[in-house]
Amino acid sequence: MAQTMTEKILARCAGKASVRAGDEILARPDFVIAYDFPGYTDVFFREARDDFGVDKVPSPERFVLFIDHMVPAAAPKEEELHKMTRNWGRAQGVPVHEREGIGHQVSAERGYATPGAFAVHFDGHVSQLGAFGTFAFGARKGVIEPFVSETMALTVPATVKVVLTGTLQPGVMARDVFHHMVRVMGPSSCAFQVVELSGPVIDAMSIEGRQTLCGQAMFLGATTMLIAPDAKTLDHARGRSKIQLDPVYPDADAVYARVVTIDVSQLAPIVVIPPSPANTRDLMDHVGTVVHTGYLGSCASGRLEDLRIAADVLRGRQIAPGFQLHVVPTSQAIMAQAAREGLITTLVEAGAFISSPSCDYCFGKIATMSDGQRAVSTGTLNTPGRMGSVDSEIYICNAAVVAASALEGCIADPRPYLLHAASAASAASPGEAA
Amino acid sequence: MSLPNLQGRAAWVFREDDYDIDLIIGVRNIKITDVAELAKLAMGDQEPGFAATVHKGDVLVGGRNFGYGHPHYPAMRAMRHLGIAGVIAESFSPGFFRGEISMGFPLVTCPGICALAQRGDALEVDWAAGVVRHGPSGTALPIQPLSAAERGTLEAGGLIPYLQRRLGTPAKT
Repeated sequence: MAQTMTEKILARCAGKASVRAGDEILARPDFVIAYDFPGYTDVFFREARDDFGVDKVPSPERFVLFIDHMVPAAAPKEEELHKMTRNWGRAQGVPVHEREGIGHQVSAERGYATPGAFAVHFDGHVSQLGAFGTFAFGARKGVIEPFVSETMALTVPATVKVVLTGTLQPGVMARDVFHHMVRVMGPSSCAFQVVELSGPVIDAMSIEGRQTLCGQAMFLGATTMLIAPDAKTLDHARGRSKIQLDPVYPDADAVYARVVTIDVSQLAPIVVIPPSPANTRDLMDHVGTVVHTGYLGSCASGRLEDLRIAADVLRGRQIAPGFQLHVVPTSQAIMAQAAREGLITTLVEAGAFISSPSCDYCFGKIATMSDGQRAVSTGTLNTPGRMGSVDSEIYICNAAVVAASALEGCIADPRPYLLHAASAASAASPGEAA
Repeated sequence: MSLPNLQGRAAWVFREDDYDIDLIIGVRNIKITDVAELAKLAMGDQEPGFAATVHKGDVLVGGRNFGYGHPHYPAMRAMRHLGIAGVIAESFSPGFFRGEISMGFPLVTCPGICALAQRGDALEVDWAAGVVRHGPSGTALPIQPLSAAERGTLEAGGLIPYLQRRLGTPAKT
C-alpha cells in the first residue's frame, strides 16, 4: 500500500505493516525529548512518580533532556529547577545536555534527528528534526504519556505535499520562504496535517535552511514538517544517529490531502509584522520603520549561514548609534565554528553584543524591551510582549535584514550590502567565481 | 461513559482568526502561576470587569485557528477558574487543541459558530447528537468528532486520569 513518510514511520512505530491517515494508533516514540521549564518537566517528573508509580521511565535510552532556557540562571529558583533536572537525569540514566545550545539544534548535532525516526517533545519547534526526515512533533502535555508507557496514542495525520520550485534570489533565505508559505497557503492551511516538503528549492537548500523551514511548521497549523533524506542529510546522520534505521521516503503514489506547488523565483525578502506570525508582508513596504533593537538567534535562525550573511552585511561597518544588536548562535558548535571563521570578530567589531547560546532572548527574558521599543528579530514569534513590554513590537525577518536594519536604525534592505560584499569578495579572489 | 453536555452562554466571542490566547491574560502575565491572580487579570486588556460577567458553565466562542502562536496554559487555567466550561470555535490550532484536551477542557470544533453566536447567547454542546445548539435561532450546527483518545481524555477529566485508567494504574488513595 502506497504511503507517505509519516504513514511509514508511524506504521513501524505502531508495529503494523501500514497505517493510513485518520487511523488511531498506539505508537512507540524512538526519542522523547524535553527541555526543563517550570510547569513542564518538573510536573512530568512528579506526575510519573506520584500519579503512576513510575520510578524509572520506560526505555530511558530513548530520552534526552536539554537545559537551554534560563541559561544562565538569573534567580536561585531557576538554578533549583536545573538542579532537579540534572538529578532526575542522573537517577534515570537519561542524558542532560546543558549549555550546549538550543535543544532542537543540539538534538540534530547529537544524532536524535535520525532519518526515519519518530521523536516527541512538548515543544512544537522540535518539528525542525523533520529536516533530516525525522517525524518529530510537539505533543504539549501529551509527552507525559511516553514517560509512563512505551507508547502514545495518536491519530495518523494526513499529509500536504508542498513542492517549492524555482531559484532563490540573493538575500532571500529559508526564513523568507517559510513566511511566504504562510502568506500563500494561510496560517491554518495545514491544521492537524503534516507538510512533506520537496522540490528543487529544497534540493538546493542547506541543511540549516531546511531546519529553519521545518521548525516553524506550527505557524502553518501543521503538526510537523518533513523532508525526505538526501545525500546531505544522510551524510550528516552517518556516524551520528542514535539508532540504526532505514531512511524513509514517500511512495510515488502516496495519498496526499493535497499537493501545493509554489514558485519562489520572484520572492523578495519579507517581514512579518506584529502582532501575529500570520502577517507576512513585503520587506520593501516597511523599509524605513524605526527599530531600536535586533535579535539574531533562536532555534529557527542563528546558524552559520545566518551568522555568515550578517557578517557579510556588517563587515567593516558600524551599527547605528544606540542600536542594540544581540547575536546568539544557536549552539556552542555553531559558535565555535563562527569563531574559527572570524565571524565573531566581524560582528563584535561592528558593534554586536554576542551571547553564548540560550533560548532566553527569544522570549524577552533578557534583552527585554520597554514600552514603545521595536525589534527586528529572527526569533520564532512576534506576539505583543514576547520580547518584553506588551507595548513593544517585533518584526520578524531574515538574518541579513536584522543586520542591515542594525546599520540603519530602521528596517532596511540588506541586498545592496550583500551585493557590495560579493563584489569585494570577488575582487579579493579574482580567480574564483563571485 | 458519556460526556456531559455543555450548557451555558457565550461569555465572549473572539471573532478574529488566528487568535493568540496569550493575549487573554497578557503576555506580560504568562509566568504568573497563581490561578486566582490569573483569573483577575483575564480579559483585562479587552474588557475590565469581565470576570464578574461570567456564569459557571459559560463557554467561549472562537474563530478559525483559535490558539495560534505559542499556546501557553495560563489563559485557559484562568478561564476555567472563572467557570468557563469549554471553547467552541470554527477551528483550533493543533498545539492549543492537544494541550487543552490534555487538561480535560472541552474544545469543540464547530464550523459556522462564529457567524451565528453573539455574546450572551445560550449554547448547548450535545456530544451524543454531535451538534452545537444555538438557543436564540434554534439552529443545530454539526461538530467535528473527537478521536477515541481525545474523547477518553475528556471523559476521564484529563490526560493523567485517562492514562491511569488506560494503563490500569491503581488509583491513589
